[in-house]
Amino acid sequence: MTSTKTNIHKLPSTQPQQVESLTDSELNNAIEQAKKGNVDAFKVLYKQYLKMVYGLCFRLCADKSQAEDATQEVFIQLWQKIHNFDDRSKFSTWLHSVASNVCISYIRKQKSWWQNMFSMNDETNHQQQYSGEINADAFEAMVLRLPERTRIVFVLHAIEGYRHEQVASMLSIAPNTSKVQFHRARTLLEEWVNE
Amino acid sequence: MSKQHTTNQQIDQQINSLARDKSPDRDLWQGIEFAIVNQSAQQSIAKEPIGAKPKPHKVRQYLAIAASICILGFIGVIAIYQYPSMRAQSLVATLSAEHQKQKQALLISFKDATAVTNNWQQQLDDLDEAETAIKQALKEAPNNQALLKMLKQVYEQQLAIIEKVHAPAWQHI
Repeated sequence: MTSTKTNIHKLPSTQPQQVESLTDSELNNAIEQAKKGNVDAFKVLYKQYLKMVYGLCFRLCADKSQAEDATQEVFIQLWQKIHNFDDRSKFSTWLHSVASNVCISYIRKQKSWWQNMFSMNDETNHQQQYSGEINADAFEAMVLRLPERTRIVFVLHAIEGYRHEQVASMLSIAPNTSKVQFHRARTLLEEWVNE
Repeated sequence: MSKQHTTNQQIDQQINSLARDKSPDRDLWQGIEFAIVNQSAQQSIAKEPIGAKPKPHKVRQYLAIAASICILGFIGVIAIYQYPSMRAQSLVATLSAEHQKQKQALLISFKDATAVTNNWQQQLDDLDEAETAIKQALKEAPNNQALLKMLKQVYEQQLAIIEKVHAPAWQHI
């Protein structure tokens, strides 16, 4: 438990890691033009941030097809909300927050009704084993195997760098619940790494 | 303790080395562009003077959607509250037949509209499979009202998908 707490402080900052190839001037210009309804300028932003948004959606949804749909939803919502962006924060940070919220909302809407109706077990298959060194692909596969709620908390906190209070706010849960889910994720990952 | 420490370190290393960015397998821009351009067009229509007549095909679509919701809702109410007095299999058959009619009507009304996603047909097929499974279960347990509710929800979800991919919510804003 102690080590888990310690690890939290070693996590990446809340700033999403996005390498911006556009200059600040080009980016600001694209944002301003997109705010005015310029679709070509919006496409510049799309190209710039597609990988960041899709990467986030993929980890939250744990499904390629859903992640693609969620990514589209994020950019459609971005088109509607971009006029709300002001210069108080970095655009990538603001977009990351919008994308996280839209994707979580998308997952809630998509969650099939029969999962609720049948109360299907959210637990994932624990049979898969990883032998030897854990490489990046194997680790990512483990993250995707985490139960949905646990995975979403883990992705937002450990990978995307949001604080538990922020995660709690996004998911409409208590910060302690976020911490519990995160701890559960770490425990499961530890088990799987040691299998 | 030592092993746990090593495991924790290993996990932290993996988290830090995960590539944040990923590329989708298919081009997503087309759907996005379609949606935002359509959205802008819809906003322009919304700004038309009061009294301007909506396009006939739009009226047909809205009527079809409204009719679907009303009829399915009506049958749903009957199914849920009057169920004990009706023969189960005949109720399922009625519900099923009415749904097929509504589904076809909706598909016809959207035949000229472009879908915003590619996998909606697959989603319909998945729901068709769910429908078959529920009907099978209803044969075994004809008095199971939960199953009947589920069947109704499958039908509602199918209609919602057809509507959503052809006339997304943002078009109505």
